[in-house]
Amino acid sequence: MVSLNLVLLVSFLLFSIGIIGVLIRRNALVILMCVELMLNAANLNFIAFARHSGSVSGQAFALLVMGFAAAEVAVGLALVVALYRKRDTVQVDDINLLKG
Amino acid sequence: MEHLLETIGRNLFAIFGVMALGSAAFMVASRSAVHSVLGFLFTMLCIAGCFLSLEAEFIGMAQILVYAGGIVVLFLFVVMLVEMSKAKEKEVFQLQSRYAIVAVLTVAAAFVGLFRKVIFGSASPDALVLRPELARGLNVAQQNAQAVSRGLFADYLLPFEILSVVLLVALVGAVVLAKKERV
Repeated sequence: MVSLNLVLLVSFLLFSIGIIGVLIRRNALVILMCVELMLNAANLNFIAFARHSGSVSGQAFALLVMGFAAAEVAVGLALVVALYRKRDTVQVDDINLLKG
Repeated sequence: MEHLLETIGRNLFAIFGVMALGSAAFMVASRSAVHSVLGFLFTMLCIAGCFLSLEAEFIGMAQILVYAGGIVVLFLFVVMLVEMSKAKEKEVFQLQSRYAIVAVLTVAAAFVGLFRKVIFGSASPDALVLRPELARGLNVAQQNAQAVSRGLFADYLLPFEILSVVLLVALVGAVVLAKKERV
């Protein structure tokens, strides 16, 4: 028996850690990993509610979210590689072309 | 011994959840990108354990295959491409990290305050039962993968097809972005 509240609490904490990572890290790779972590927290909620309601729709949607996360990571990593070729850095605060 | 095993079995989700939280914190806090990737790998494995303990067997296995097998390797390749020649980053964290942490903690406290009753109150009226459809005596799919496939290919066929197009576009986009000379 797992109570729904425990699952929600864990997924909320995972999401918070992801947000903190996105806000405070400078390395673009780690920021991408934190975005993945937030998507996984959302997935955990999907699974928990799917089990709570006894329907399988949440699990199907979690699978779809996983696919979108894979697409996102492919494009994001390609962007990081392109950025490294052009600017020779992956630190996001060295990339301030829009600063004016 | 049996008592201990039974306790562990009952609290499997909590164990995996705490391990996932710990390794996620390690991932955010560690200095080297390779350590971050290892923390990410362990987090994904723990979340897969959470899925398994929530009886989403197919999703748990897909999580292990997609994340631990695919995405982590992709991350490691890019770390190898990008980070090796570089010295250690001077500053790991942003200048405004103190404000960011304070802001996130404030929002978290506000959230917990708002949902205090939901999160810490007495558990939801009907606790989660194992396999509610079996408990209710309905004759639905016997296997998790069977049920998920019915949901995915019967009820949500259109989102699935859209996802396949999105994956194709992402594939082409990644190739074009990472190419050396622009067309």
